[in-house]
Amino acid sequence: MVPDLQAATANLIPRLRICYARGGLLPHRGTPPFLCGPAVLLALLLSILFAFPAAAQAPPDEEVKPIPLLTGSTGFIATFDSGEPHLHPIVTPLVLVPIGGRWIFETRATFETDMVQLPGRSGFHGTVAKEVEYVQLDFIANPYMTVTVGRFLTPFGIFNERLYPVWIRNLQSDPLILPIGIGPSNASTGVMLRGGFRADPKFNINYAVYFSVLSTASPVNSDRFAGGRLGIFVPAARLEIGGSFQHGLQDELSNAFGFHALWQPPILPLDIRSEYARSIVGSGYWVEAAYRLSQVPFLQNELRRTQVVGRMQQFFVGENGSDALLPMSTRQFEFGLNYYLIDGLKASSSYGRQFSTGGNKNVWTMSLTYRFVVPLGHAGSE
Amino acid sequence: MKWRYSLLCMVGVTAGLTFSAIAQEGANSTGSSSAAAPAPTQGIPVARAATPPSAMAKSAADGAENRALRLEGEKRFRTNCGRCHQAPHKFLPRVMATAIRHMRVRAMITDEDMRLILRYMTQ
Repeated sequence: MVPDLQAATANLIPRLRICYARGGLLPHRGTPPFLCGPAVLLALLLSILFAFPAAAQAPPDEEVKPIPLLTGSTGFIATFDSGEPHLHPIVTPLVLVPIGGRWIFETRATFETDMVQLPGRSGFHGTVAKEVEYVQLDFIANPYMTVTVGRFLTPFGIFNERLYPVWIRNLQSDPLILPIGIGPSNASTGVMLRGGFRADPKFNINYAVYFSVLSTASPVNSDRFAGGRLGIFVPAARLEIGGSFQHGLQDELSNAFGFHALWQPPILPLDIRSEYARSIVGSGYWVEAAYRLSQVPFLQNELRRTQVVGRMQQFFVGENGSDALLPMSTRQFEFGLNYYLIDGLKASSSYGRQFSTGGNKNVWTMSLTYRFVVPLGHAGSE
Repeated sequence: MKWRYSLLCMVGVTAGLTFSAIAQEGANSTGSSSAAAPAPTQGIPVARAATPPSAMAKSAADGAENRALRLEGEKRFRTNCGRCHQAPHKFLPRVMATAIRHMRVRAMITDEDMRLILRYMTQ
């Protein structure tokens, strides 16, 4: 049974014509007021997008039945910031619950603490911070679109959404510009449409558009804004470039925009990532290169597990300050060494030097991170 | 007026979801036999022979097709998953099915890539 949208919309379109001919958004005598305006067109567009391709689409993973998973990462990160030691244990569980053939519920929380030495007391002390990073329900409407509702990571740039977990990131420190465009707690509350599809035999397009409402309930607060991100991925060159835009719908009604790029040259075990972001609170960029030493002809068993990382970044203070950003313009470079022990277990160390008008400082980090995957049910094939 | 726009948007989304669910049910009921077969993939270089007369030839053709799909799946796996993180080892099939659905949403990999990667990671 396929919905007959043509018949369903045949009655609506003449009504809309009359409506718009008689004053645009003003209602016509025979047309209910709520059937006029951009909302009608939006609703119509959404209905068509959802319904048409779905009729020709089989469930995505029909051969293997998915099961709920408890996955995520854990890590222990030691930082020496201007000589002051910080111990930072972190656990980030992620629960994935697939529902039927097209739905998935996902939520991620973080339990972490920043332990420091307090004057007059021995040992390290800190309080455990607990945060639900996102709770979202995804509906894979068709091969081109997934609908997400709930609290989700704001898709501005690439770091917050794709590179943030400690087992993924190449350097444990956050980029200086990370808080730009991602909201007060790195997440948004609302609805998002997103997807990726092959637009041409040579490249794919991925996109995300979202609307977030104002929430002041800490720690799940969010701002009221709307935005989107568009990316183009060229598989042959292993290159992705894209841009993000966000329009604030509260306070100053300010805009933010950014660009990102990822490149993995096909002939080298090299990852190059970069982001630029600009908003009223500041602007800046980071460029990161990570080279896996798998092509070195000696000590291959050890060196193929070793990765050398370098990152350069710069931040410029904007018109309005932000508590989440540094108070002064800053330049920073970092070098790191990662060693992949077994699948999911990684040891890292890095050194960074920060230059700002408030003074220069060194930042050292050492960490051990692990990604875990625990099936919540019988994991054999069905 | 704003709540009316919001209400209408919600109605539109709900209608779309309903149509989609109905269409999915319809596809399941009419095409259950074809649903068991591997999903068709577009633009993949697969060695497709004409239907052979003997079962042996058919088996050989299936083997070649499986190998081609597996190679393509591995390639897509390296290209897509390696963009953000180190390639993980293979997981059990049902675990992988959940992970790939999650990554489809998170990393916005295409439908075709998802099918090929799932096939590669579970066979």
